Amino acid sequence: MSTAAAGAIDHHHDPTTTTGIPNKKLLMWAFLASDCMFFGCLISTHLIYRLHPPPGTPPARQVFSIELTSFSTFILLMSSLMMALAVNAIQKGNLKSLRWSLLTTIFFGCIFLGCQVYEFRNFVFEKHLTITNSILGTTFFTLTGTHGLHVLIGVIWLSGMLIYSFTGRLGEKDAIDVEMMGLYWHFVDIVWIVIFTAVYLLEYI
Amino acid sequence: MSDPAPDASTGHEIEESKFGLYVQIAMLLAVITGLELVTVYLPFMKWLLITVLVVLSTVKFMFVIFYFMHLRWDKAFCTILFFIGLVLAGGTMWALLKLFGAEASKPLDTARIEPPPAVLRIS
Repeated sequence: MSTAAAGAIDHHHDPTTTTGIPNKKLLMWAFLASDCMFFGCLISTHLIYRLHPPPGTPPARQVFSIELTSFSTFILLMSSLMMALAVNAIQKGNLKSLRWSLLTTIFFGCIFLGCQVYEFRNFVFEKHLTITNSILGTTFFTLTGTHGLHVLIGVIWLSGMLIYSFTGRLGEKDAIDVEMMGLYWHFVDIVWIVIFTAVYLLEYI
Repeated sequence: MSDPAPDASTGHEIEESKFGLYVQIAMLLAVITGLELVTVYLPFMKWLLITVLVVLSTVKFMFVIFYFMHLRWDKAFCTILFFIGLVLAGGTMWALLKLFGAEASKPLDTARIEPPPAVLRIS
């Protein structure tokens, strides 16, 4: 069914490609699949060293702040909601709603990053856990730092899209670009869902 | 676009229902996160708590990928492609944890290293 005949853009299927999936979306899914393996290895490394902590490793439970991490998790979940609403808005051609949703997502992303910076500073200066002085510090900072870098890239991408939306060149036909960005942002969220359980919550059992 | 009105109104209703759906799912995810937090403080067996945590985070994960990331409405190939990566990552994690969780993989503590046994001589 052609989109013109239906009178609306079909955002989930593209009859012009052999797979029926927009190429940009396919590319993003392939990238996310590869990123799964990347984070899988980082999480495994952390868990392996938590299985056999070397002597002198500080107890993670005394280092972590579950209240702060829970707050960060909640914020990231809410940013995912706003991102989903942003994609929904551009698919309806509602630019005003898109801008507000993007702005809120950026705001939540910045709060998450702020919490992470605060947490890292607290670990280094108060708890004396650095990336070099223990295995826990090495695996923890590498894993959560890599995730934080993903969030930062997402915030920059979102900000770029927000600015671009004011140029007048962003419309319903470009919904795939916002959706691609949304896929990336939600991926960052699902990685955090795993990190929150595997790295933080398991230490409290 | 000779007569887009019927399709447009139907599409509008679908998008409106999606808005409500997204909000409901976000609330559900927040509640599940709260449940996870409560779970770690429950005085139950460790294996049971770990199972509950894994199930709860899997539920959150699935809700995000199928609803927020639209896998529910996209072609199945997207799901297959993503799950290839997910299964490979999960398999790698499982293999590594099994390998390094084995008794023989426990790191040697320098204090416990014993001298090699003397060579037995058969007289």
